[in-house]
Amino acid sequence: MGVLPDGILRRVFRRQFLVQACWNYEGMQNVGFAYCALPALRVLYAGRPDDLVKAVKRHLEFFNTHPALAGVVLGAALRLEERAAGGTADPRAIGTFKVGLMGSLGAIGDSFFWGALKPMAAAAGVILSFVHPLLGVAALLGLYNAVHIAVRRRAFAAGVQGEEGALRYLKEAGFAARTENGKMAAAVLGGACAGAVGVGAAVPASPGWELLAFLFLAAATVHLYTVLFRKAVSPSEVLMLLFVVGVLLLWH
Amino acid sequence: MAWRFALAAALGGLCYLDRTAAFQFMLHRPLVVATLVGAVFGDLAAGAQAGSVLELLYIGRLPVGASVPPDDTGAAVFAGAAAAASATRVGLDAGSFVAIVLLAVPCAELGRAADRAVRRINGRIAHLAVESVEEGDVRAVEQGLLAGVVLFGLTGVLLSLLFSGLGVAFSRAVLPSIGPGGRSHIAIMLPLVSLLGAASVFSCSRTERTAPAFYLTMALVFGVTFLSRWAG
Repeated sequence: MGVLPDGILRRVFRRQFLVQACWNYEGMQNVGFAYCALPALRVLYAGRPDDLVKAVKRHLEFFNTHPALAGVVLGAALRLEERAAGGTADPRAIGTFKVGLMGSLGAIGDSFFWGALKPMAAAAGVILSFVHPLLGVAALLGLYNAVHIAVRRRAFAAGVQGEEGALRYLKEAGFAARTENGKMAAAVLGGACAGAVGVGAAVPASPGWELLAFLFLAAATVHLYTVLFRKAVSPSEVLMLLFVVGVLLLWH
Repeated sequence: MAWRFALAAALGGLCYLDRTAAFQFMLHRPLVVATLVGAVFGDLAAGAQAGSVLELLYIGRLPVGASVPPDDTGAAVFAGAAAAASATRVGLDAGSFVAIVLLAVPCAELGRAADRAVRRINGRIAHLAVESVEEGDVRAVEQGLLAGVVLFGLTGVLLSLLFSGLGVAFSRAVLPSIGPGGRSHIAIMLPLVSLLGAASVFSCSRTERTAPAFYLTMALVFGVTFLSRWAG
């Protein structure tokens, strides 16, 4: 489709796993993005050192998105670079395209990967670690990475098809529905964790009203915590409070 | 013992790299890190136990935009080492477990401060890379990235060494001095700490649809687990 050989595209794909390697507050993923694009830029601007420097500088501009979805922008930006190198596109369009897409990809990625997939894999891992620790670790890594690596592959492949391919992928991948489903699975698994933990505190010898009271107490505690989280109190702050309570208990 | 610290530092460094700089394969999650460090210090199950609580506690702290979340990897190194060292010597009772989890919180904050410092240094590296490219040297991008990887990795190794040392020292020097009476007092906070983790998962997956699913599953698992214990 383009002038970039498959070997170079594979190299760019592998490099995208290092997009955050020089993450900094000013340019965020700028050095990482330029590093990923560099093998392709060297091919596109071979024998034109001044144009190569200009192209690398373009990719050293501020850039930040979700790392797992950076491949979409990377692939599409390289197709635009091909056209810019051939003189059929304005190089300024590359920066505009990257800035236009990175914000929404960041929001989609944060919501899907951090808000749904990671909690789901973590809760599954924790539950299975009760059976065997290594089973829990394997479940967490397996569940997360099966999706993570597949999305990275498809996102980059879609980006390489150009801007239309990138936008079509984002439309057809159904991230919104998958996020909803992932959150539901995480809630069910989180509920199972809460039930298993709550029963540890239930000391009555037989089922009855006392048991129901323990269940209610556990659910009320979880609800109280979620209310605190909504008021911007973090789990670390709650833990610090419990730490102070622990010190006071020891003092007493 | 030195080889254990060396191995913990190497594994910790690798997990720290996964945290931000490379891959994001979730090797840096507390469940994974604490299990590995627990195995290094002689008790895989104790490490996993500490890791599973920390996993849930920190699941809602996300690296969104410029925000840097607490260093749950460092907390897991501390907790994994402390739990395993404690389990192999005197046994890991509920009070010791709660004390270890609570003391992992300051470790996470210390690790976060180190993470921020690394990112500020990376800003200088990025600046130098841009200057070099402007002078015509495009290899500076690759050198800058390599410097970033080395900086993240080296910081991870040093933090892992520090936190595993603190964990072992805590379990050997501080925990025995608290005594069984004191530890049984702290143990009453165990359900509060564990339920905080479950609430953290619920909080980050919370929508209008998920609330009934969470509480129904909680009641179901609570009932089934209790009945199976009671009947058995």
